[in-house]
Amino acid sequence: MSGDRPLIEFDGVDKYFGETQVLRDVDLSVDEREVVVVIGPSGSGKSTLLRCVNRLEEIQAGEIRIGGQAVSEMDVNAVRQRVGMVFQSFNLFPHMTALENVAVAPRKVRGIPGDEADERARTLLDRVGLADQTGSYPGALSGGQQQRVAIARALAMEPEVMLFDEVTSALDPELVGDVLGVIGDLAAEGMTMLVVTHEMGFAREVCDRVVLMADGDIVEQGESESFFENPETERGRAFLSRLL
Amino acid sequence: MSDARSRNADEAAVSPTFDDRTLKYVGVAVSGAFTLVVGAFLGLILWRQVDPSLFVEIFNPQFVDAFLVVVRIVVISSVLSVVGGFAVGLGRISETTMTRGIAKGYIEFFRGTPLLFQLIVIYSGIPAFWAAGEFPIANFSVPAAIIGLTLNHAAYIGEAIRGGVEAVPDGQMEAARSLGMSYAQSMQEVVLPQAWRNALAAIGNDQVILVKDTSLLSVLAVPEIISTVQNINSATFDIWTPILWAAILYLAITIPLGKFVRYLEARADPAGESA
Repeated sequence: MSGDRPLIEFDGVDKYFGETQVLRDVDLSVDEREVVVVIGPSGSGKSTLLRCVNRLEEIQAGEIRIGGQAVSEMDVNAVRQRVGMVFQSFNLFPHMTALENVAVAPRKVRGIPGDEADERARTLLDRVGLADQTGSYPGALSGGQQQRVAIARALAMEPEVMLFDEVTSALDPELVGDVLGVIGDLAAEGMTMLVVTHEMGFAREVCDRVVLMADGDIVEQGESESFFENPETERGRAFLSRLL
Repeated sequence: MSDARSRNADEAAVSPTFDDRTLKYVGVAVSGAFTLVVGAFLGLILWRQVDPSLFVEIFNPQFVDAFLVVVRIVVISSVLSVVGGFAVGLGRISETTMTRGIAKGYIEFFRGTPLLFQLIVIYSGIPAFWAAGEFPIANFSVPAAIIGLTLNHAAYIGEAIRGGVEAVPDGQMEAARSLGMSYAQSMQEVVLPQAWRNALAAIGNDQVILVKDTSLLSVLAVPEIISTVQNINSATFDIWTPILWAAILYLAITIPLGKFVRYLEARADPAGESA
């Protein structure tokens, strides 16, 4: 799957929160159609790395490029239309039905007419297995259903890249599988994805490449299989041994 | 140890002045006594103090006119103060220091000084800029009343809107922005509808207070309900007959207003209804 041209590139990225440096000279490249999983202990900068891509966080040094174009030089709303994001806490809009959650951005941002936006939203909800919940409000859905609506909502803007930020961490264990199934389907369809997760089984199964972060830097990266079977660094071995 | 505990339990059982069961009867007794006293007092007023023929006579045109004046002022000030309150509330949460500071100063002034003072400043202060007799608005009392009520209540509604916006989780704005929606679109589609729902109870309370604040307008010579009571009292030396009308007419505005706010709350919360 990998081997296409790079779609996201981090080039010497530094990020500070006040005095604290959370990303240290990060270099990373994600190819088109590639699925990269970012793992690492909490506080290692995984989520921040994701949030810099769509400029929810601004970086202090270096450059992040999407399709060769520096995100810092693009209109922030234009960047975000090309990059879909799904959050740990779903962040569905509670005053809108599942259908409205999915249709609102295409209508308002792209100016797609209501009927057409609704029709496309219905197709997307069907794709995440929620065809029968289009009229439900988020409060009436389970966590797993809400997260699948959130994925459909992000897909509605037809992004080139999807960012998943610990999207199963707030779910009851028995609901995790449905959400991971949807992400796995996307991977199979060739969506480019950057995934922060603690689900090692999923990481191993779905991703092309694993990136291990610690203290704001990438300490090891490699093909999924070889990383999990035979990590090259001491940090990698230590991290994996703690999980087993 | 276990002895002490069981003795306590026994004591609670044998001294039941305020246990869960008796509390119910205490409540019934107190509220019943209260109702009896109030009811007796109302009966006494109706029997001894209210003149039925005067009651009918002063309804139209005196109280009908006063009622219509109040309703007109309330409706206009209500709409304007909610619109103004949105502006104040959005200014209050602005990222721009100057805008935020101005909104804060506005709220401090209009919440920190009495409405009566503000009404006098507007009613007497503004015409003072013109030479005597040159002020272009012939009857300034109703416009001054509307300006005063609007400015005052916009400050309170602004605070309610600010609180409503701040109660919306940050993740909502973040999710909307992540979809490529602009700040303005995110506010309009995602944050403000939720903030409006959060703020509605406080706004409703404020609007009920606005209705009651019209009683202060007697000072500006607005022919409202309280000044009508006073006029009839000085003409007839009857106080309770016009007071009865005043009570009925205020409640005739505030009770439906409360119902209207609850209707808006239900409408603004489709998720709550369906869940």
